[in-house]
Amino acid sequence: MVMKSGMSYFSVSHFSVLSLAVSLFILLCALPAIYMLGLSFTSADGHLSFENYRRLLVEARQRELLRTSALLGAGAAMLATLVGAPLGLLLARARFRGKRWWRLALVIPLVVPPYVLALAWTWLDITSELTYSLTGAIIVLGVSFYPLAMLATEAAARRVDAGLEEAALLVAAPRRVFAKITLPLVAPAVAAAALVIFTLAISEFGVPGLLRINVFTTEVFTAFAALYDFGAATALSVPLLLATIITALAARLIIGERMLTTRRSSRIGLSLTLGKWQTPMVALLLTIIALCVLLPIGVIAREAGGLRLIASSLSNSRAAVINSFALAGAGATLVVMLAALVGYARARMRARWSGLVDLALITLFAVPGTVVGIGLIGLWNHADWRGEIYASPLIIVIAYLARFAPVAALLLAASVRQIPVSFEEAAVVAGASWPRRFGRIVLPQMFTGLSAAWVVAFIFAIGEIGATALVAPPGESTLPVRVYTLIANTPASNLAALSLAQVIIVFLPLALFALFVRQSGGEK
Amino acid sequence: MRKLIFLVSAFCCALLPTACGDRQRSAEREATANEVTIYVSTDRVFSEPILRAYEQKTGVKVNAVYDTEETKSTGLANKLLAEKNNPQADVFWSNEPVRTLVLESRGVLAPYKPPNADGIPATFKDPDGYWTGFSARIRVIVYNTNLVKASEAPRSIYDLTDPKWKGQIAIADPRFGSTSFHVAALYAELGDEKADEFFRKLKANGVKIVPGNSVVRDLVVRGEVKMGLTDTDDVNVALEDKQPVAMVVPDRDGMGAPLMPNMVSLIAGAPHAEAGKKLIDYLLSPEVERMLAQSEAVQIPLHAGTEGPKNIPPINSFKPMTLDYGKAASRVEDVVKRLQPILGL
Repeated sequence: MVMKSGMSYFSVSHFSVLSLAVSLFILLCALPAIYMLGLSFTSADGHLSFENYRRLLVEARQRELLRTSALLGAGAAMLATLVGAPLGLLLARARFRGKRWWRLALVIPLVVPPYVLALAWTWLDITSELTYSLTGAIIVLGVSFYPLAMLATEAAARRVDAGLEEAALLVAAPRRVFAKITLPLVAPAVAAAALVIFTLAISEFGVPGLLRINVFTTEVFTAFAALYDFGAATALSVPLLLATIITALAARLIIGERMLTTRRSSRIGLSLTLGKWQTPMVALLLTIIALCVLLPIGVIAREAGGLRLIASSLSNSRAAVINSFALAGAGATLVVMLAALVGYARARMRARWSGLVDLALITLFAVPGTVVGIGLIGLWNHADWRGEIYASPLIIVIAYLARFAPVAALLLAASVRQIPVSFEEAAVVAGASWPRRFGRIVLPQMFTGLSAAWVVAFIFAIGEIGATALVAPPGESTLPVRVYTLIANTPASNLAALSLAQVIIVFLPLALFALFVRQSGGEK
Repeated sequence: MRKLIFLVSAFCCALLPTACGDRQRSAEREATANEVTIYVSTDRVFSEPILRAYEQKTGVKVNAVYDTEETKSTGLANKLLAEKNNPQADVFWSNEPVRTLVLESRGVLAPYKPPNADGIPATFKDPDGYWTGFSARIRVIVYNTNLVKASEAPRSIYDLTDPKWKGQIAIADPRFGSTSFHVAALYAELGDEKADEFFRKLKANGVKIVPGNSVVRDLVVRGEVKMGLTDTDDVNVALEDKQPVAMVVPDRDGMGAPLMPNMVSLIAGAPHAEAGKKLIDYLLSPEVERMLAQSEAVQIPLHAGTEGPKNIPPINSFKPMTLDYGKAASRVEDVVKRLQPILGL
């Protein structure tokens, strides 16, 4: 009834806040990519030129590289979803104790930098054919990213309105309800996570490089590191962006905008009572933890050779650790704040534009970190107030915003769409202003999504290197930048020790988070 | 909806001009002379102690930005290029010539002929003063002593194409880092046809291409391959770690081995140019060359009479490749494009 005439029920403050948020988003997050795109269409003397695009994908070699990249992305996304989605469902619906600890343990592969996981893979000493192959890379990236699928599926499974399932249970068996009601409602979130994993996998450069498979991202890299050509490098990023767009469109076609607004209930409608399946399930969880968590960490620890080395690496890196925490913490908080507002604007938008906005958001996420970094330098490194910011650690926080706010906005928009507009309308009728409605109704309903977004943004930010290595001012090194500046000429054992130190550092706040933050909605 | 678009556009239009315009450089920046900013590509473990020593000696604060390993990120040369219109750095210390020469060709560097450069042979200096070389490394062959007897160890890079070592050789990706310098030097020395032929034979011999020189060394240490091409400092780390490896300076009787000096340059428009010049002077001193020689970097001093590093043959005991660094570096882009189909990259 209300949405047809647009936003006429909403006040000026609603518009001011949202438009300010969207403007900030465009200026901070979209502008670097747009600037670089402009650069790619410019010749050396400043005229419009298609030179960088003329030779794109003309050679069979480049098409072959793109194909490998797409296979890597698809394979990693499928593996990650196959492992992560069932885990998410179990965590959301099955009854068993100590869920928060299982979840914490299962999240660890996301905290380990993918390059380090790839190193652990090579240190396993399996046959050369399997180790250095596309399959090997798919396994490494699948294991690295399955926690994303797991967290997304769990969040979606918890949000399904219990009333829908309870009503269905009156007429159908639990198995059928699960298949016909629960799973379709969870599917869009699973697809969204798979798309994010696809994008992350095709943007990977270090892992394919180490495992000796040639992918398209290497072309982007070569343009930067061997040819020093920013325009060409950006043009070479475009096929990767197109791959993401095509996959996003395909996902949308298959899954559809089947987003039923459901109330988030405080109880779980259909829970999975396992009965005799309890023991096999625990066995499955333990196997996954053994293979995906304990095995890689164990291999890295063995290579590190001893606690002493790890401890000394940590003490030497104290400044970098503190910087990383502070910057990633601030970054994650700002990302979530901006993304919550942008996500809300997207969720309440008219359907005609919404698909385009979603595509724009995922495309921004797919832009390589190095391209964003160069774009940020171009925009911020000027002899005025922008230069002051550029010379300060604030530029690193802006880099985090540019890289992660788009995908956070996408995921938080999904979270907002689950909240019925009727809630807000009722509040309007009761006389509440927009800030009050947003603060008292929308935000609390978004809590699970907000905390998940914060955790993921924090993990991504603390591991970010592509843009950070370019914009970080002198002396302000974050932990991954420090690790990568040191590893060039240290023995493998030092690298293992430093990486393990980094994993421990990042893991601690998550453990604290799990300890103190209670998940609502059927935690036990 | 329309209201939203209008307000967003209004905000953007208001803020965009400030995003695009540029203003006069503040003259106040020159005033803070007690600090200097240096971008360093030479490995942090070796360069950081040198810079800390300078800080202690002179009391000048050194703001250093270190480079990540060649294939982990795009590197400082790109940062310098991107910052060209508003330079943040004063000095660039590179660990191989190609990067410096690319920056020179893009107008990022400023000429400066420091007094300490007088002791360095002319072949390692730019005639116009845009860069000065010091403390060199050699591109060497490293092999596993458990798997390869000293008597059959390769003496020349051509030995790497010998079928008896099929599948047992590793090199770092020739598009990046010091390996890119090595291949550019080979192309300059041998000419295009012979160099193409060499790399074709190498590919046919099953050469493994890995992300970096340290990875080459690690594979040789682990015995996954028997030999590879890498830098002297990479081998030295393994030697100090008592690993079963040895190095060979190749082609002593032939074309010689490429000598890869560090290069230091002043940045055009440097915020603290005077402080930068003093730092350059310091880096080119025999004292620093001695420190780098004695550290695990085992870099060979170019000042005559300065004590050389252990584990590395002295500079007069092998034949360095005669190189025009400028000419070699200018061919890199070309060479990279030639190698892509040959090596299947």
